[in-house]
Amino acid sequence: MSNRLFQGVIHQIKDAIDRTVGVIDENYTVIACSELGKIGETHEIMFSAGNLTSNEAFVKGQYTYKPFGTLQRPEYILFVEGNDPQAAKYASILSISLSNIKFYYDEKYDRSNFIKNIILDNILPGDIYLKARELRFNSDVARTVFLIRVNPNNDISVYDIIQNLFPDKNKDFIINISDTDIALVKEIKSGIDSTDLENLAGSIVDTLASEFYYTNAVVGIGTTVEGLKELARSFKEAQVALEVGKVFDTEKAIVNYDNLGIARLIYQLPTTLCESFLREVFKTASIETLDQETLFTIQKFFENNLNVSETSRKLFVHRNTLVYRLEKIKKITGLDLREFDHAIIFKIALMVKKYLRANPVKY
Amino acid sequence: MASLSLRNICKKYPGGVLAVQDFNLEIKDKEFIILVGPSGCGKSTTLRMIAGLEEISAGELYIGDRLVNDVAPKDRDIAMVFQNYALYPHMTVFDNMAFGLKLRKTPKEEIKRRVEEAARILDIEHLLQRKPAALSGGQRQRVALGRAIVREPKVFLLDEPLSNLDAKLRAQMRTEISKLHLRLGTTFIYVTHDQTEAMTMGTRIVVMKDGIVQQVDTPQHLYDLPCNSFVAGFIGSPQMNFLDAKVLKEDDTFFVEFGSEDTKTRSGVKYKIRLPESKNKDNCLEPYANKEVIIGVRPEHVHDEEELIAKFPDGIVEANVEVTELMGAEKYIYTVCEGQNINGRVAPTSTARPGETIKITIEPGKIHIFDKDTNVTITN
Repeated sequence: MSNRLFQGVIHQIKDAIDRTVGVIDENYTVIACSELGKIGETHEIMFSAGNLTSNEAFVKGQYTYKPFGTLQRPEYILFVEGNDPQAAKYASILSISLSNIKFYYDEKYDRSNFIKNIILDNILPGDIYLKARELRFNSDVARTVFLIRVNPNNDISVYDIIQNLFPDKNKDFIINISDTDIALVKEIKSGIDSTDLENLAGSIVDTLASEFYYTNAVVGIGTTVEGLKELARSFKEAQVALEVGKVFDTEKAIVNYDNLGIARLIYQLPTTLCESFLREVFKTASIETLDQETLFTIQKFFENNLNVSETSRKLFVHRNTLVYRLEKIKKITGLDLREFDHAIIFKIALMVKKYLRANPVKY
Repeated sequence: MASLSLRNICKKYPGGVLAVQDFNLEIKDKEFIILVGPSGCGKSTTLRMIAGLEEISAGELYIGDRLVNDVAPKDRDIAMVFQNYALYPHMTVFDNMAFGLKLRKTPKEEIKRRVEEAARILDIEHLLQRKPAALSGGQRQRVALGRAIVREPKVFLLDEPLSNLDAKLRAQMRTEISKLHLRLGTTFIYVTHDQTEAMTMGTRIVVMKDGIVQQVDTPQHLYDLPCNSFVAGFIGSPQMNFLDAKVLKEDDTFFVEFGSEDTKTRSGVKYKIRLPESKNKDNCLEPYANKEVIIGVRPEHVHDEEELIAKFPDGIVEANVEVTELMGAEKYIYTVCEGQNINGRVAPTSTARPGETIKITIEPGKIHIFDKDTNVTITN
């Protein structure tokens, strides 16, 4: 695309400058030139690749060269016929205009930027359709947003790694949201289910861990959506998944919005409602009166489906000891955990307590 | 020196979940250790604690002579290979293997040397210029291993690296990894839930359940001398048969009795198998006389061939054949004897057919006896 852009400009200025002017890419191949025959030629510039790190103009043989680009490192070199000061001046002026044109073009047609604006709600819904057509986006394709959260104090750029894992810039978009969050908007083929999505997220976490020793990367997965407009929803869901995971599934590295279970409901509740629920459940004594050992016993009892024998075996205590502990809990809270109704109230109350303590961000 | 010492290692999550309890293990240099157990038994957590990806809640971890509890993963001199490996699709095999080193700013010449050396070890030198899309599943897996090898670590940690492969490829890669271990001469710690992988690859196996180490031993010892009914049932395929039985003592001879007195739904027959003297080593059966126990019998110690029935007359029982499976070199027979399942691995020439009542024999000398309450082995 840049070739056509540069060629268009050079074609227009060809008559104003009575010299050969052109642009060379990173491989030293002429991609645009006032003399069409030279396009595709490799320019005989005998210098090392290291020269492309500087924007300084230089003269080689009969040409003056001026590296330019929109990134920190120059991506192109402009050349103007002649080694006189006039040629240097032309090179300087032209490089400024070509860089600016490239910058505005990239911004206007930057697909990644467009996706970023959609997921961050920075674009009007009506404009999404127009811009999608302009950028030739296929609106019918299914996409999912993965939100990758990492520790900001890393030596190696996680963004680079993710970009290398998903290099197809036409289908997958990697967007830096903040210093900790990176969004991956991935095109999803039909027939892919949530397990496959979790495996994909797992491969990101595992690659970061195995190759780069990232210990605490977590991935939130939004639902798969069709249509670009819906991407904002998928992104928000991925954010919610991460927040809910932070509260209820602290040991999980991958949290799928589709599998939040009861935590999804609790996350939506207003805190005042939660507090009044806790007051109602623990009428006689607060949950804080239960010590760590008792809470651990309760947790094991739930894990073993309210089975006293199995739980006592797992806890390495006598059955009667466990029964005694359960009686003690009943005395303190008024809830007999051996009864299903009481057990479920207690389980939810524990989750609500966890939720209030964590105070997660609401999206 | 890449020995490891795990001393009283525990992992407790913030919610109070105790994932690993009091894990003790001394791993010698160049050993191939397998951590095996069902899902959620804490094997991956243990591996991740060794890698430094999980914090150790209590206990001490030494790599060589160095205490590494608080050492960052990158400084532990380990390399990991996980189940969900992902290759960089637009990079060649060479670049895939070199990428991590490049990001760590390793000199170009050194990268080249390491990648070529790893490719030679893995026998993928001819694939270095290919991209992942042009590789088979096994070749991709080798590249994933190559990415770990180029780091030249002291210890390799592998977390179910073969679970994404199909059965045939998995069998092939099992051998490849064993060969790789011999070629590299480094310590390997390998996590799997597949007992076949555990039995075929490891020099020693650690069997885990509910975060607790059940037994650590060589594959053969684990198979022959399981310490409890869990290990006995987990190791071996088809699984060991477990039968509710009672130990009887008549004069100085011990028997195990099982069967049913219920004549409405069963034949109402009780079978009594005389145990050889060797089973009562150190008088271990004495406290269990007239007590309920669980007996375990490996399927290969159940026979339906006439000459073996004649050879082990003490173990003869009658059973109804439910299903038979011909595996080529052997045949599995699934039978029910007085309401309890007894599966056998017999000769392929066996004529047992579903629906028939046949005579089978259990080798008395091969019976394992477990305590019914604690599941601990009484005698092997």
